[in-house]
Amino acid sequence: MTAAKGASKSQRVATPAPKPRFGPDTLAGWLFSAPAVLLLAAFMVLPFILAFYFSFTNERLISPRPTEWVGLDNYARVFNDPRFWKSLSNNVIFSVIVVPLQTFFALFLAILVNQKLQGVAVFRTIFFLPITVVMAAVSVIWIVLLNPDGLINAFMSIVTFGQFTPDWLSDPAVAMVAIILVSVWASVGFQMVILLAALQDVPESLYEAARLDGAGRWQQFRNVTLPGIRNPLLFVLTITTILSFRLFDQVWIMPARPGGPLDSTRTIMVELVDTGLNKGIVGRGSAIAVIFLVIVLVIALIQRRLIKQEGEVR
Amino acid sequence: MSAAQTPTATRDTTAHAAEMAQINAAIRRSQRRQRIIAYLVLTLLAAFFLFPIAFMIASSFKADTSVIADGGSLKAFVPTPFVGLDNYATAAERANFWVSFKNSAIISAVIVGGGLIVNSLFGYALARLPFRGRRILLVIVLALIIVPFETLAVPLLFIMGELRWVNTLHAQFLPFLAQPLYIFLFYSFFLGIPRELEEAARIDGAGPFTLFFRIAAPLAKPAYAAAGILMFLYSWGQFLWPTMVTQTTDARPLPVGITEFLGLPPRDWGDIMAYATLMVIPLLVVFIIFQRQFVKGVATTGLKG
Amino acid sequence: MTHSSTSRRVALLATAALVGTAFAAAPVAAQGDPNVCDGVIDGPVELTMMVHTGTNPGAEQESVDAFNAGPGAELGITLETIPLPETAFETAIRSAAASGTLADLFDMDGPTLYPFAWAGIARSIDSCVSQEKRDEFLGSIIQQGTYEGELYSLGSFESGLGLWAHKSMLEEVGARIPAGIDDAWTADEFTQILKDLEAAGHSTPLDIKWWYGAGEWRPYGFAPMIQSAGGDIIDRNTWDSADGVLNGPEAVGAFTTFQGWVNDGLVDLDALDDNNFIVGADGEANTGDEAAISWVGHWMSPAYSEALGDDLVLVPLPDFGNGSKTGMGSWNWAATSGPDGVPNSGDEADLDAVYAYIDFVTGPEEIDRFVTAFGAVPSTKTAIANSPNHMEGGSMAMYVDNLEAAHTDVSLVQAGAVPRPATPAYIFIRDEFSDLMADIVAGVDVQSRLDEAVQRIDQEIADAGYAE
Repeated sequence: MTAAKGASKSQRVATPAPKPRFGPDTLAGWLFSAPAVLLLAAFMVLPFILAFYFSFTNERLISPRPTEWVGLDNYARVFNDPRFWKSLSNNVIFSVIVVPLQTFFALFLAILVNQKLQGVAVFRTIFFLPITVVMAAVSVIWIVLLNPDGLINAFMSIVTFGQFTPDWLSDPAVAMVAIILVSVWASVGFQMVILLAALQDVPESLYEAARLDGAGRWQQFRNVTLPGIRNPLLFVLTITTILSFRLFDQVWIMPARPGGPLDSTRTIMVELVDTGLNKGIVGRGSAIAVIFLVIVLVIALIQRRLIKQEGEVR
Repeated sequence: MSAAQTPTATRDTTAHAAEMAQINAAIRRSQRRQRIIAYLVLTLLAAFFLFPIAFMIASSFKADTSVIADGGSLKAFVPTPFVGLDNYATAAERANFWVSFKNSAIISAVIVGGGLIVNSLFGYALARLPFRGRRILLVIVLALIIVPFETLAVPLLFIMGELRWVNTLHAQFLPFLAQPLYIFLFYSFFLGIPRELEEAARIDGAGPFTLFFRIAAPLAKPAYAAAGILMFLYSWGQFLWPTMVTQTTDARPLPVGITEFLGLPPRDWGDIMAYATLMVIPLLVVFIIFQRQFVKGVATTGLKG
Repeated sequence: MTHSSTSRRVALLATAALVGTAFAAAPVAAQGDPNVCDGVIDGPVELTMMVHTGTNPGAEQESVDAFNAGPGAELGITLETIPLPETAFETAIRSAAASGTLADLFDMDGPTLYPFAWAGIARSIDSCVSQEKRDEFLGSIIQQGTYEGELYSLGSFESGLGLWAHKSMLEEVGARIPAGIDDAWTADEFTQILKDLEAAGHSTPLDIKWWYGAGEWRPYGFAPMIQSAGGDIIDRNTWDSADGVLNGPEAVGAFTTFQGWVNDGLVDLDALDDNNFIVGADGEANTGDEAAISWVGHWMSPAYSEALGDDLVLVPLPDFGNGSKTGMGSWNWAATSGPDGVPNSGDEADLDAVYAYIDFVTGPEEIDRFVTAFGAVPSTKTAIANSPNHMEGGSMAMYVDNLEAAHTDVSLVQAGAVPRPATPAYIFIRDEFSDLMADIVAGVDVQSRLDEAVQRIDQEIADAGYAE
């Protein structure tokens, strides 16, 4: 028995890609995969297909009238809606600011915490703590902090000599800034941990060599650190970008009206939930969902292309 | 470099030693200054990250009207007038905190426990078990990683409606057991396990089940730790889906419960902060206990991304 | 879709005829039709009711308990409540209907009945309510519960909306105190009073409960403002458009005045809870920095009376030209078309059993319970006559005056309450109104913002086929 197995084993090792055969492995493969595959099929693939289907109908949650096929009508309606474009532009503004800001803030924190100082682990824990505060709770707490008579304005009043203490959640000019502040506070610790691990992977010897060559701190950073953490950094940038488009909890809970003052913090997600759930317009909500997916896909593809290119240059 | 360090022959050693001592002292002084600056910066940042949490906890012990009244000064961090556990009691009673807590606990436990099993099994199968359809499944999983949950939310709600699963607990955990991201995480991890270990076991007659449960899984502890904590973080904080699919408090988890409480007049901020504190404690505790495993886990898997 | 008494009588007669025919045509030994009140309850029944959790959930539960112990026990009916949060209440009802988990009864706020009646989710109780019972109620209650001539719901209490004020502060600036709803301050007078109060040191004197946030409060509380000017939130003649009424010169004028108050710093937008009228920003009562005037409904009367005592006075909303108009309508109870929300699908509970609760909860004892708990206006004429606060000369008699002068034609120069429009588009209009108010507070151009709202409302009415 063993000999026979040994023989087939060497055969299998020899071939580069094992050909699927109906052996115990195949059965095990299917069995292992079954739960996940069934769940994915039921709760991801099926809704995915339905999203496309509904987007071509005028389906509503409640209506005495039968559902009809409307072709591209929903899409036309969405693209002609100034509110949709406002939401999209808000998402873009948010991402363009938050992604670099949060990523490099995270890198800065990681570098700080990577130093060989006594008790630095305590600081690392503290920087990560906001992640453990659930976004819904974060939003509620910051409603009070951002109150015109609240702590943030108390601080602003000191720092700007009482000149600039806006109504953060009601002033369309600054509402997005408030959301950015809250989002960065709540999320940066997570990227920090990933980048910290990446930093620790950069061998000390490279820094030594750079120092011996007379490189100052900044040059060490540019020539040793950045290249050394290139992959994880790009990974963090991609993930943060995609997550930033999914912005929802804060902008839903915090402002006095969905979408914030003058729609200044209205995002695609707000638009989607408002249309599909609150107004029960499943058809148009699904169209927005599909458009959202396409946007995310495009971003992911663009970033992948950028990463690949850099890889080749290297 | 070494040439510069070699002292010239005619140097007086004591004078040189004194000079070296001075240089060393200067270096130590500047190092101390740098360290002080470093600690200062770290402390300022720590204050930035901690103050909302401190505010939340302090407010949970304050009389309701004072939370807003004191909101603009350092008094915001001082829990006076002190009302003991009154706010907590009110939160528990008026907002049905413990019901929502139980819901959150069940949902998270199932998502983490079930999710770890389901996703790691599938990830292992994709990485190590040659079976028909493996390649297609892998491509589908990769594609699904990009698909944000939000795209599926409305149709999923419709499906829940048809299944009569609206306002249930299982509607809140079943859709999240299998997650392409974690499947991929386990898949990458298992790919990286040296084949020799498995080959050796196979020679001894081990079948795929033994290989997985006895060899691969135990080796994947960092992946399980990272995935587990991430799943816990995500499921405990889930807001969008429970908002859509639940209507009554007895099915709702904490994040929705707190917003419900926020909208329930009269609005007593002390009670709300007490609710928030109670909501946050489990995560805080879990994180503080498991932080080393978590950091290690995220490190090994994040880098693979 | 007018609610003239003629069409109602016709509908009543028609229903009576239908019921009669059903009786005549029904086989002798058959059970009663569950969709009609035939006086027969088929066996012991378990019912569920979805209720909103609001200011005083205790009172509603007490009611249900009293029912289960009393008439319910006698008739073999047990009722169980399913509490739903007030925010997003309609979304919850809609989702429940879409997923077949709707209860047999639900309570809802006035006009939100209409979309449900239109969609068939609510069932007519027209065959259940005797003329005698109908006559007990204020006209507004019957009107509120009627859609397309059929009675769908009844309420135990009505609402009142006005201005609560610190009498001492009004006297301080020499403001006259209106004698009744026909004596209300004009909009200009009101603006001046606010400015005088501010000059006297009471900054942001007008509290509008802005922290209630998006939702029903805004149209309920502030549509009367434009109605008082002669505008409206939907054209009640054609029911298919808001053009000309929501964005006409009357509405624009009213909102511009309102925007002026905000711009002049007369409105308290920062308060995060109810305390600004009672204790002010420093947390202490009677130090003068409380808001002088609170634009809010009856539900604040218990808290306000307790805090201010004799210094509390109730004043009608300002008159923007066509008389001081105010809101009306409140939570009322209706029967559903069963768990699936589809009429005549066979899963409906016996209407007699369902109506037994509606009848009970609109009886004198329960009305009394709610009125004491919420400070609301009782819905029956006898209860009003027996309530010290609401009867003639009582501290809240103004609310009753408004209700008795209720009218739907906003072009009438008359003070009184105006019901929220009986259109299935109401929920959509409500959300649009809520949004546009937030934008107007933020300072946008009133005319263009109202035009935008009208366009969206009209589009939705056309899309959903509400006017068909």
